[in-house]
Amino acid sequence: MGFSLISSDDWKPEQHAADLDGLLAGIAKGDSQSLAALYHSTSAAIYAFALSVLKNAQDAEDVLHDCYLNIYSAASGYRSLGKPMAWILTITRNLCLLKLRERGKRSDLPTEDWEPYLESRETVTPEDRILLRACMNHLSDEERQILVLHAVAGFKHREIAELTGLSLTAVLSKYSRGLKKLKQYMEQEGTL
Amino acid sequence: MNTAETDQKIKEAFSHAVPDVLNLVLSDCKTQKGSDMKMKDMGKKSLRIRQLAGIAAAFVLLIGGTAGFRFYQANYKVASTVSLDVNPSIEILVNKKERVIEVNARNQDAQAVIGDMDFQGSSLDVTLNALIGSMLRNGYLNEIANSILISVDNQDPVKSAELQTRLADEINNLLQSNSFNGAVLSQSISTDAHLKDLADSYGITLGKAQLIQQIITQNAFYSFEDLVPLSINELNLLSESGNLNLNNVNSLGTASDKAYIGEEKAWDIALTHAGAAKSDLTKQKIELDYEDGLMIYELEFKCLGFEYDYEIDAVSGLILKQEKDQDDDYIPPNPDTNPAAGSSQPSNETSAPDTNAGQTEQPPAQTQDPVQTEQPPANTQQPGVGGWHHNEHNGHHGNLHHSASYCNCISESSARGIAFTHACISEGSVYDYEWELDEDDGVWIYEMEFKCDGYEYEYEIDAATGTILKNEKDYDD
Repeated sequence: MGFSLISSDDWKPEQHAADLDGLLAGIAKGDSQSLAALYHSTSAAIYAFALSVLKNAQDAEDVLHDCYLNIYSAASGYRSLGKPMAWILTITRNLCLLKLRERGKRSDLPTEDWEPYLESRETVTPEDRILLRACMNHLSDEERQILVLHAVAGFKHREIAELTGLSLTAVLSKYSRGLKKLKQYMEQEGTL
Repeated sequence: MNTAETDQKIKEAFSHAVPDVLNLVLSDCKTQKGSDMKMKDMGKKSLRIRQLAGIAAAFVLLIGGTAGFRFYQANYKVASTVSLDVNPSIEILVNKKERVIEVNARNQDAQAVIGDMDFQGSSLDVTLNALIGSMLRNGYLNEIANSILISVDNQDPVKSAELQTRLADEINNLLQSNSFNGAVLSQSISTDAHLKDLADSYGITLGKAQLIQQIITQNAFYSFEDLVPLSINELNLLSESGNLNLNNVNSLGTASDKAYIGEEKAWDIALTHAGAAKSDLTKQKIELDYEDGLMIYELEFKCLGFEYDYEIDAVSGLILKQEKDQDDDYIPPNPDTNPAAGSSQPSNETSAPDTNAGQTEQPPAQTQDPVQTEQPPANTQQPGVGGWHHNEHNGHHGNLHHSASYCNCISESSARGIAFTHACISEGSVYDYEWELDEDDGVWIYEMEFKCDGYEYEYEIDAATGTILKNEKDYDD
């Protein structure tokens, strides 16, 4: 079912969802190991999505932190709909919206701040850096968010449409446009 | 580099960039747990910030403690704020002796309720009595919207709780003595600056803001903004239907769902459309939800090898969305060992009385046919088996025409016909078919996706005229 462009066999969203549901059940009981395990399997998606919305490394880090606190306090009320990632990323999205509201206007923010931060991260390879730069600088906000939700969070396009409120058609076209732009940029940079 | 590889690279790049805040998170959660305090309750510490005009919210939050506030509070003449929300939203400020200092209308409806009544110096009881009476007279409380939210904001939580219970009981008695079948929600407010900001920016009471925030915390699929336009009755219904366990909210009575078709009718519509019998369902769930400005029933069920999702407009009964997928967990009953398999056939027929064709095509028939029972229905190498067209003859036509008439829409099957004809494909070869009827700026559109012969298709069809608004065809990766 669905319209996922991922055909990789090792990605089994249903299994992943069941695992996350299990971890959330553990967190609801206050188990910190479950929280740590959840952190390891979801922090990349939360951070990537927050960074792609906020374009500010410090704010994205704040959201990452607050998101787990929110998950921790709300886990007991979490009802499994088979979509734990959608729940987690909705929390992320709401936190991002609060950040944006706090800031007042999007235009106020120092958009470039993420770059020196990423420079300082030892785990980020030069190739990563080119790709991140391409994502952050050469894609529209929506294209970037859609690509990130698809690639990092493993969302299907339909789920992306649900989370972002865009129509499925818009998601699909923005996804393919974003992907094309990204590939073009990477080719220019000689990394392909 | 193909798409999957690009995805993988994006994933790696972002994964490498994630800062490690796990230890901080764990220690913060431990603190939270140790003090037995949930995040949202942190606001209690900054109680009453809202009244300290001129002090930066951030600074106040940093103070965190209550010592600073008590000083101000002791000298503040408003002892309690009681807010009343139905759709009219009214805020009543009273002093220590529960005498009214001020009554504020928070929306236009509230102005109509208050009219030219002057409450200054009146007792809280008299004021509430007059306001509720006015709401009943003016029709703001009625059969289809019977819920009242009463929120008490007092610095002293014990006093708050006591007042909350007393007022809720009083209002409940008042409604009963007027022979009105009402629902009363009551809560104590734990004000924080953020909540105050939200309430002000949306022009709602703190009480409603807190109720909405509680609902969002329980169900992250809602956003604050989405829920603001809803009445207390609608919020009450959402929380009842979702079995949300709202902290500190006491509930008396039941919210009225008389404005809607009701859960039973929603089941009728979905099951008729799917050609499924209630007795064959292995999993079933219904929930009232709010999406894109509409109250909708969301139904999920499994039936004989398929999983179904429906969204039904709670007001009109129009099917807005349906999905049908293979149920991978399904184990078909064995006719030799399970006599029930045979007996489910009649009940199936009764579910679709207007059916006289196509029974052999439906999935139930597949599982009951002794020749085929050895094979699970999930074996869909045959294109089209998982597709929607099986339900073509299951009697949903009449119903859909009926429901589609709410927006003068063409039926889904007509729209499907238009799309398939345009794509030059036959219905039998289509699989993974999904459709949705969506309203966008007053225009109803069928959004359809399906796959056929290695391609995936997307269509948008104007539901009033049948015009193809958009079509796309791509390789199915």
